[in-house]
Parts: sequence; structure tokens; C-alpha cells
Amino acid sequence: MTAIASMQGVLKRYGPQVALDYIDLDIGEGEIVGLLGPNGAGKTTLIQVMTGMKPFEQGKVTLFGSSGNPFSYANKEKLGLVTQEITVFEELTARESLLFFAGVYGLKGKEKKNRVEEALAFVGLEEHAGKTPNKFSGGMKRRLNIACALTHRPRLLIMDEPTVGIDPQSRIHILESVKRLRENGTSILYTTHYMEEVQAIASRVVIMDQGQVIKEGTAEQLIQTIQHEEKVRIDVSDPDKVPVVSLLNIAGVKKADLSGSRITVVSAAGSGNLDRILSVVKAHTGVLGIQQDKPNLEDVFLTLTGKRLRDKEEEQ
Amino acid sequence: MRVLATIPFTLLRMVRSYIVLLLLLAMPILLLTVFAFILKGAVTETGEPYLYQTAITMVLTFQLFGGSIVMSYIQTDFFSEFRARIFALPFNRTMYAFSIMMCGTVYSILMGLILMAYTQFVLGVAWTNWLWAIYILSLMSILSSVVYLIITFAVKSFKTAERLSVLYGVSFVTLAGLFFPMPDNAFFRFMGSYGNPLALSVEAVLNMSRSNSGGAWFQANLLLAVTVVLFALMLLVGRRRMA
Amino acid sequence: MTIFHFALKRSFGNRANLLFLTLFPIACIFLPSGEGWPFLPYGYQYFGIFILFASIRLAAIMLEDRAKGVVKRLAVAPVSHLRYISQNLLAYLCIMVVQCAVVVIGGLLYGQQLYQPAWLMLLYISFSAASLAVALAWISLYRNKEISFLVFMPIVFLVAILGGIMMPVDIFPEGLRRLAVVFPTYWLAKGLDWIAFGESIGPFLLVNGVLWLYAVVFVIMGSARKIE
Repeated sequence: MTAIASMQGVLKRYGPQVALDYIDLDIGEGEIVGLLGPNGAGKTTLIQVMTGMKPFEQGKVTLFGSSGNPFSYANKEKLGLVTQEITVFEELTARESLLFFAGVYGLKGKEKKNRVEEALAFVGLEEHAGKTPNKFSGGMKRRLNIACALTHRPRLLIMDEPTVGIDPQSRIHILESVKRLRENGTSILYTTHYMEEVQAIASRVVIMDQGQVIKEGTAEQLIQTIQHEEKVRIDVSDPDKVPVVSLLNIAGVKKADLSGSRITVVSAAGSGNLDRILSVVKAHTGVLGIQQDKPNLEDVFLTLTGKRLRDKEEEQ
Repeated sequence: MRVLATIPFTLLRMVRSYIVLLLLLAMPILLLTVFAFILKGAVTETGEPYLYQTAITMVLTFQLFGGSIVMSYIQTDFFSEFRARIFALPFNRTMYAFSIMMCGTVYSILMGLILMAYTQFVLGVAWTNWLWAIYILSLMSILSSVVYLIITFAVKSFKTAERLSVLYGVSFVTLAGLFFPMPDNAFFRFMGSYGNPLALSVEAVLNMSRSNSGGAWFQANLLLAVTVVLFALMLLVGRRRMA
Repeated sequence: MTIFHFALKRSFGNRANLLFLTLFPIACIFLPSGEGWPFLPYGYQYFGIFILFASIRLAAIMLEDRAKGVVKRLAVAPVSHLRYISQNLLAYLCIMVVQCAVVVIGGLLYGQQLYQPAWLMLLYISFSAASLAVALAWISLYRNKEISFLVFMPIVFLVAILGGIMMPVDIFPEGLRRLAVVFPTYWLAKGLDWIAFGESIGPFLLVNGVLWLYAVVFVIMGSARKIE
């Protein structure tokens, strides 16, 4: 996959503090890269370096495959930025704000107006286009914040924690919009510390901490790296008839507990024995419900960063 | 060219700020109206209405504070969280900053013009030389914008910059002897005349109205020279701060 | 008196406040006297303007509490709204009393002609109470501290001019002279004139009575807004 943006060996310091530690990052054409990391990991600094807002000491930033200045106007015309803070003009209506940005991106006349209406429709603010942001809810402001980066149909959209502090409904709307952008061909770098967002939309996840990329891959790949066991909870109608011993004899099963009308079966990762377990249980009693626990990206992050810390201590 | 496209919106933002309209238009109109009532019919020894000099002083005094408009928008767009968005845009940031400065200065001049018109057509103050008065008004507005920007660029905290800029305005009003008489020594005499932009501008307008064009041009040129020097300083300080 | 104690601390916790509250009263001591008018030195004539500005700066601390939601916390604590307001205002009044004392005593030591310094001190304290109450009523109209201060600034100057602080009310036309009575600054100006020329105590007591009446009325108005 061609990289639409890449950072190679980028070092960024703030005095003695290293914010980006020889970081490498590629964003492929048409993919959504989810950048996960806690506060202070360096996500915003990475974005600032990638957009040319902050200089860096070493390394290379390449945008859109161009060999010259990565932060030329030509490159910036293809780049869109959704800032973490809401950066919209308080005195201008939503439509006026978008007209401002569309004008800066060189759009004119009818095309400018059409693109503005398109952006308003995309974020669902057409009916509120004539209002100023002080009349908007938090979610609406966030949507306007996104729309300001869309009028010029960027090839690469960088979104820095775009859903901070908004209600779940607005968050879902924004995530759906991000998916639609990708379908329209936009590549997206999406930073967040909400694991479920990245899991929902990212084609590739990059986990970052202390200015370094710790791990990257698809969500499934990352989960696989730490998945040691699978847990399934089965609610049964007749708990007295559940054959716990038979369950323990199934290949891969480590533990089987019966508590009330619920059996909890713990198996090794990748056993693929769920069907076998269910057939054994169904042969003896009725199954009322099944719940399967799988690790998520939060577990991945906690495991990865927790292990690193312990490894460092052991090394010392 | 991209920057030109932003100018209408910058002006819109400024015009819609009710605080600016309240402080730099409504307030002087109110004060001028009060003074018009108080000084009705009162004339100086030379037969000049007291209201004439009061009107000139007040219109030019509020120009001292006109730079706050530019300061506020430069601060928002370049030194707040908005900075990230501005940096990602494909246009010349320095030119954009200049466009904000130009819009703010023009807006301040426009408000000064409205005040002049109000004093002439509502309060009956006869401005003898409109063109000259507009020129002086413009110089004061540009100077104010330049000074406010120097303060903005030189000081990291915006709150401190705001306070210093108010101090700039209030100090020169006080040194011009408008609140109470200044001590009679060389320093205060200088700061109440040639060292004071407000005093220079008021005297320039009064001198021209009294057919003392030589004196008027001298004061105006002093004001222009100070503006040019401070403009160069502003470029230097601004370049450092923006980097 | 926890709220009182912390109101004092918070008032001086802000460096800008500290500078403002210390430098300006001292500066007032050294301003010159006028020729003919005003009858007291300029610093003492204009001290009322400083009191108004100081009042809004101090009262804005309560506005900040409302804007940041601290008042909501207090609303569920065993602290009545009356106690919250009264202890804050008392703290600010104490600060203003100290300012007034600095100015009056400083003036006496510097050799300014203050005519009746004890009554001057009382007048300033009465005006301080009225100013604090006006400031409380003013901030009850706003959520934003900066905007409330910005809009208050021109009002102060207007009220100072119309009340006769910056020029004698006697030169005003009839209409404006009648209007002046409405402003607390008019009564301060009247009190300052009495300090310079007054003989019988009656008019001075009237001035102070009116100022305290302003204080009561505006405190009631300002107390109406509680949480939001």
C-alpha cells in the first residue's frame, strides 16, 4: 500500500524532554489509522510535527510522496486537520466559517458554495447553518469543527481526539461520518484514547506511549498478541444436569465452574472448542444464553505498557 | 490571494463583536452627548466652543484604545488553540496577520469617522478640515495597532498584555493632563506634548483648524515617524514570536 | 467564618489584584491639589473611582464561583446563600476599609489638606459599602467575568462624570443636575464638598444614610441570583 504520509526516525524534544523518540509511522492510501495512547504519549506533538506546526530535530516527514518541502501549500491543500479543541469562529455562522476555510483552500464561486453545503450536509448541520456556534450543543460544535476540515475534500484528514466531551449519540454520528469519509477515498489519522472508537473504525491501530510506537497492526492482530484464554458463560435451564467433568475433558478447556444456573468455561486461546462445549451442554440441559469474553484493545494497551514497565524494572 | 478571501470574514467577526461596539462606539457617543449637554454654549477666550476641543480629544482618545481590536484577533488566531488550524492552512500566515491588522485598523478608523460625523451632525461641532482630521485619526489608529501588537508579541501572557495595553492608553490620557494637572517640570511637559501621541494628534488637528499648517504638519510628521519606527520594531518582535 | 477567611485569601491571591489594591491607593495620596475645584486634592476626589473599580474586581470573585460551578457545591453544603454573600462582602469591605485608611492616613502624613479626615474616612467607607453592593448587583447580570468588567468600565466613567466626581454638578444644565441625584457618585461628591465646607452634621449624615441605603437595596438585588 502506498504511504500517503510517513514519518521516519523523527525526534522531537522540548528541552531535555523527548516528545517523539525516533518515531516511524506510515499512513497508507485509503486507510484509517487509529493512534491510541494515553495523555502525554505524544499524539498531539506527532500531529503538530506532521502538519508543520512544530519543527523537529531529526528524521524525515513525507506527505503525498513529494520530495520537496512536505509543508508546501500544494501539500497543505490536500491535508485537513480536525483539532482537539473546538476551533471555530464564534462570531461567524456555521456557513460563514466554512466559506472562510473554503476560500483559503482556493475554492471559488459556485464550487465553493456547493462544497460548503456538502460539508454541512455531511455533518448534519444543514438546518443550523445560519446559526453561530454559541447556539450549538457540544456535539454540534464538534461536528462543525470537523466540517471546517472537509470543504476542500482532503486526501489526508488528521483528526485529533474529535469526540472529546460529547454525548454518545453525537459520537456515533461522528464515527459513522469517519467511515463514510474513508469510503469516499480519504485517508485518516485518528487519534484518541477511547479504545472502542479505534476498534470500531480503524483499519490499522498504532499504540503509542512516551513518544514511541509500541505496537501496530489490525485490532485483531493486536488482540491476538495478548490473548491467552477465552472465556464463555452459558446460562442453563437445569444446572443440576450440567456435566462439568465432561466439559473438563474437552481439548483446550482449562476450567469449568458452575455457579447458580451459569457455567463459566475457560479455554486456551485459539482452542476453537466453543461448538464442542455447546453440544455437550445442550445434550444434557437447555441453553438460555451464551456470552463470550474476548480481550479488547484496552487489555492490549494495559498489557503492553504494563509489561514494558516491568521489563524496564527487571533490566535495572 | 487566499488571504484576500479571508478579509470579508475578518471584518464580519470584528463588526459582530458587541463589546467592541459598546466600548469604542457607544461609550464615546454617550460621553460626547453628556459633554455636549454640560458644555452647551460655553466658549473659550478666543470664542471657540469648549465642545470643539473636547470632541477632538475624545475622538482621538478612543483611537488610543483601538488597537485592542487587532490585539484580540491576533491573539485568538495565532496564540490560542486556533493556532493549529491556522498553521495547517495553505496560505501565508504573515500576510494573514497583516490582513487582520489592516482590518482592525480600518475598523477603528471607521468608528472614529462615525464619531466625527455624530459630533458634527448631531452635536453641532464644526470640524474645519475633515481630510486632515481623518489623516490624523488614521495615524493614531495605525500607531495604536502597532503598539498593541508590540505588547502582544513581547509578552507571553495575554492577560498581562491586555493590562499593559490599557496602561498605555490610560497613561497617555493622564500625561496629557486630562484627569488632573501634571507637575510642571521638563519631563512632564515633554510627556504632555511632543512625547504624547494623544497630545500630538489633538494639537495637529487644532493647529490646522487655526491655520497653523506648519505646526500641524510638524506634529503629524512626528506621529508618523514614531509610527514607522514602532512598525519596524513590531516586525522584529513579531517575527521572533511567530517563529 | 471560613468563607470570610478564604475570600480575603483569594482577593490577594491574584497578583494583579494585589498590585491594583496596593499601588492605586498609594498613588492617590500623591496627586496634586486643584485650583478652585476640586476642593480636596485630586487623588481624594477620584478615590471614589478607584473604589468602584476595586469593588468590581473583588466581587468578580463571586462571579467566578458561579461560572465555575463552585456555588453549586456550596448549595448542597450546610452554608446558606445569605452566609455566602455576607461573608464575602464583609471580607471585601474589610479590604476596602484598609484601602481607605491607607489613603486617609497616608494623606495626613504627606501633608494633604483633608479638612476633616475622620469624616472623610467614614464617607469613603459608606461609599465602599454602596460600591460593593452595586458591584454585586452588576455581576448578578453576567456569567463571564471579563465581559462584566469590560462593560462596567465605561459605566464607571459615565457615573463618575454624571455624579459630579470629575466636574462639579453645578455647571450641569438643570436636567442633568436632577439626573445626578440617582447616582451614588453624586452623594459621594456631595459628601466631599461637605468635608471641605460643611458645618452642621445633618447633611453629612443624610449623605451617608443614602449611601448605606444604596448598599442595602443593591445587595438585595444582587442576592437574587443564586446558582446559575
